[in-house]
Amino acid sequence: MKKTFLMLVLLVCVTALAMGQAVTLKLFFYSPELIDQYNDMAKQYLAETGVTLDMTVLQNDYVTVLRAKLNSGDIPDVFMSSAYADNDTYKDYAYDLTNEDFMKKLEPTALTGVTVNGKVTGYPFLVQSHSFIYNKKIFAEAGITALPRTIKEYEAVCQKLQAKGIQPFATGFKEWWVLPQTAWQVLAPIKDSYSGDYAKFVDRLNSGSLKFANIKEMSNVFDVLDLIKKYGGPKPLESDFNDQCSLLATGKAAMIHQGNWAEDSIRKTTPNIDIGFLLGPTGNAADKAGIMFDSNQTIRVAKDGKNLKAALAWLKWLTTSEYGKKWIPDKIKQLSPIMGAKASTAELAQATVALLAKKTPSYSWYYQRFPNGTEQGLGIILQGYCAGQTNRQQTLDALDADYTKIVNASK
Amino acid sequence: MKRSRAGLFLAVPMFVIAAVYVYPLILVVINSLKTFAEIMANVVALPTHLSLGNFSNAFVLMKYPNLFFNTLLVTVLGTSGVVLLSSMAGYKLSRTKTRYSWFVFLLCVAPIMIPFQSFMIVLVKVAKTLHLTNTTYGLSVIYWGLGVPLSLFMYHGFVKTVPKDLDDCAFIDGCRPLRAFFQVIFPLLKPVTVSVVVINAMWMWNDFLLPLLILSGAKKYMTLQLAAYNFFGQYKVEWHFAMAGVLLTITPAIIFYLALQKHIIKGMVAGAVKA
Amino acid sequence: MRGYKNKRLRRAMEFLGMTAPAVIAILVFVEIPFLMSVMYSFTRWNGLDKVPKWIGLANYRELLTADRDLALAVVFTLIFTVITVVVTNVLALLLAVILDSDIRGRNVLRAAFYIPNIISLIIIGYVWRFIFSRGFDSFSALTHIGLFQLSWLGDGKLAFLSVVLVSVWQSIGFYMVIYIAGLQTVPREQLEAAVIDGAGAVGRFFRITLPLIMPSITVCVFYSLSNALKTFDVIFSLTFGGPGTATTSIALDIYRTAFSDNRFGYGTAKSVILFLLILTVTVFQLTGFKRREVEA
Repeated sequence: MKKTFLMLVLLVCVTALAMGQAVTLKLFFYSPELIDQYNDMAKQYLAETGVTLDMTVLQNDYVTVLRAKLNSGDIPDVFMSSAYADNDTYKDYAYDLTNEDFMKKLEPTALTGVTVNGKVTGYPFLVQSHSFIYNKKIFAEAGITALPRTIKEYEAVCQKLQAKGIQPFATGFKEWWVLPQTAWQVLAPIKDSYSGDYAKFVDRLNSGSLKFANIKEMSNVFDVLDLIKKYGGPKPLESDFNDQCSLLATGKAAMIHQGNWAEDSIRKTTPNIDIGFLLGPTGNAADKAGIMFDSNQTIRVAKDGKNLKAALAWLKWLTTSEYGKKWIPDKIKQLSPIMGAKASTAELAQATVALLAKKTPSYSWYYQRFPNGTEQGLGIILQGYCAGQTNRQQTLDALDADYTKIVNASK
Repeated sequence: MKRSRAGLFLAVPMFVIAAVYVYPLILVVINSLKTFAEIMANVVALPTHLSLGNFSNAFVLMKYPNLFFNTLLVTVLGTSGVVLLSSMAGYKLSRTKTRYSWFVFLLCVAPIMIPFQSFMIVLVKVAKTLHLTNTTYGLSVIYWGLGVPLSLFMYHGFVKTVPKDLDDCAFIDGCRPLRAFFQVIFPLLKPVTVSVVVINAMWMWNDFLLPLLILSGAKKYMTLQLAAYNFFGQYKVEWHFAMAGVLLTITPAIIFYLALQKHIIKGMVAGAVKA
Repeated sequence: MRGYKNKRLRRAMEFLGMTAPAVIAILVFVEIPFLMSVMYSFTRWNGLDKVPKWIGLANYRELLTADRDLALAVVFTLIFTVITVVVTNVLALLLAVILDSDIRGRNVLRAAFYIPNIISLIIIGYVWRFIFSRGFDSFSALTHIGLFQLSWLGDGKLAFLSVVLVSVWQSIGFYMVIYIAGLQTVPREQLEAAVIDGAGAVGRFFRITLPLIMPSITVCVFYSLSNALKTFDVIFSLTFGGPGTATTSIALDIYRTAFSDNRFGYGTAKSVILFLLILTVTVFQLTGFKRREVEA
């Protein structure tokens, strides 16, 4: 009797110990539109390895809460951020992944955004593209056969659409982030003036030797913004992301400037819609028109996290396991940074791949190199221009002032 | 006869105004019964059929029963604490007419002027040091600190409506002051207490930013507001669930408020008789 | 002598015992964190670096001389405050008087006006956005009233009115509750005596009711004043300070400075100034109003 009792106690203790050993990884992500896919991946990981992924997914207050957590010492094992300038923001917290073997399985182009002086401090999560998305059926009905590439061609298309009673653009101007992504695409060919190196361009801006007011190509940016506003319906500054997706989906607007991440929302309203990417105008040179293609959403491992080894094991699984390799193309339906990953079935993802195969100009998201803290400020200044609060010269001066202010503040 | 006619006269236009006033809420109700596509197509139109599934889905997604309990716990603990602390302090500071008392009063009331964003990051750090993060109890205690300033201010003012002679009756030598306060003075402060309870309970039930910062790790302690918020993202807003979730969250608050309304009158009658 | 000392000691202990819990809670959870944050106002810190850099008064110098956005935000906030405080309090008091009288369906009406205060501000922002853009489109198609065709959130000047409208709409119920409680402390006998003396309703209101509800007015004006100067949530969800910076309040400017520009130290310096602004305004208001409160 005593023996059985002792065995039982021992068994309980061992089980308790074993349960105590079960690891829980704390993940702090954004993009709540992907929550189903996150949960699915967590379920799979638990089944395969017994490790629980405790995920918290936010959006609007993500940065605030992350900062509060990092400051108070409540460090998540894995978190998310942008690439480029955010490498510097989180330099005190991100683990150096350069020598991890699974990093070699990622496309080198996807790693440009997370590499600083040869050190890789982030894991590229999604590869995305943005440009003008158009409703193919509307274009066909309006008799538009040649897809526009220059500002003049876009204007002609807009007039054709308007003649048919269709609103050409849903501007999205209410969202401060739509303006930078639209504007900087127009400026993308600027790298040609800097031997194809955006880093050189941004360095000159940072040093103050180059000002927005001196970049003559900025006039193209203003021209495009003016065009979108002119053909953007009666209330161009009230159009937000929802407005863009719903108007495009219901055929009330023909074009929006967005990224492949918008496909999910659009398809929720109209499941069998036919959409594609238009090449973004950069001026009057048709051959420079292209799409913006890069990996910006980045996963970072906390170097002071309690479960560092487990976090790295998870990333390895994400990169090398059967499920991990299919997760982004099949479940998230976007483009994966993993080498040799299969293509997603999402229409915009496929459009991106097709355009790249045709050697269409594809520009990196160079504007993410602008100093951390400028994104919203510059976006709001451009929004002010679109609202008619500042003229072109005032807008350029405001852009320069804001940029300088942030650069000085981080010295 | 005259009274009820005047009552009716005034009521009609007031009801019209009230209907227009709550139109946004009506929109929330209408849209909670539509499908996602219907909402995106036209926000203002009535639903073609009642998508009650939105409510059951939101109920499950939000883990409603569990979170309801959490939110209730935080609200009850938080509100009781605020009422207790602020009524005692507000009373004492109002009756004590020294310069020291006025200084302490200003100290207690100053937080109303401090914008929350300016100290919230440090507050999280302080909370973590005191082991108050990721728990409902911790959240409630923090609410005491945040809620007392306004409530104390209200008690401080209303105490003036209680005649001072009652103080002397209550605080006879030998009688324990706290007991005297709660048995004699506190009941007379009922109208203010009801307002304080309503204001604090509503605020804590619906508050969002503080729970987000304090509870962002602990899934099982989340509040209803946080769960409803999860339906709103930058790139995808699940409107049908969001609207249903919002209704599920605010309905208890509305019921609570309606129930308390009758109490205001009861309490007032009792207070008037005592005076 | 001993008896007197004991009494003083007892009074002091009573005072301490009854006020200490409240004071401690406030110090620990608001004032100390705030003071700690103030320390950051003398540094250059992005909110993440482990070691902030001490720069003395440089932040304060910048915000007083070189920050045009802040100056615009101050102007916006002051105008917004004056309008909302006056409109909100007058309407709330009016509503309270109407809904405290013998009107049919009083409870339902009170609930109706209070409900907007219960709804979370994110929802309010989204719902009103819909109303202003798509809702107004439908209304203008139905009624052809020009008012509905204007861009209430897209035009700088109209956006200001929209923000005031939503802010007032959301907060009236709150102050109405306080005013109703205040109105009910007015002794009926005094009012009845006045009726007998021949005073009209308006006269009764201004000569008896109003002075007796000064405590409520003090609370409401104080709180609405502080809130208006601190306005953040409504603007954040409705316009995000836009279009451009047309509806950016000081608190929103601070938030953006700290969390988007990543200038946490500078942002805290601005919030210290905001606090001092609110402190000055409200101390003036409080001392003035408290003098007029009538004690029973």
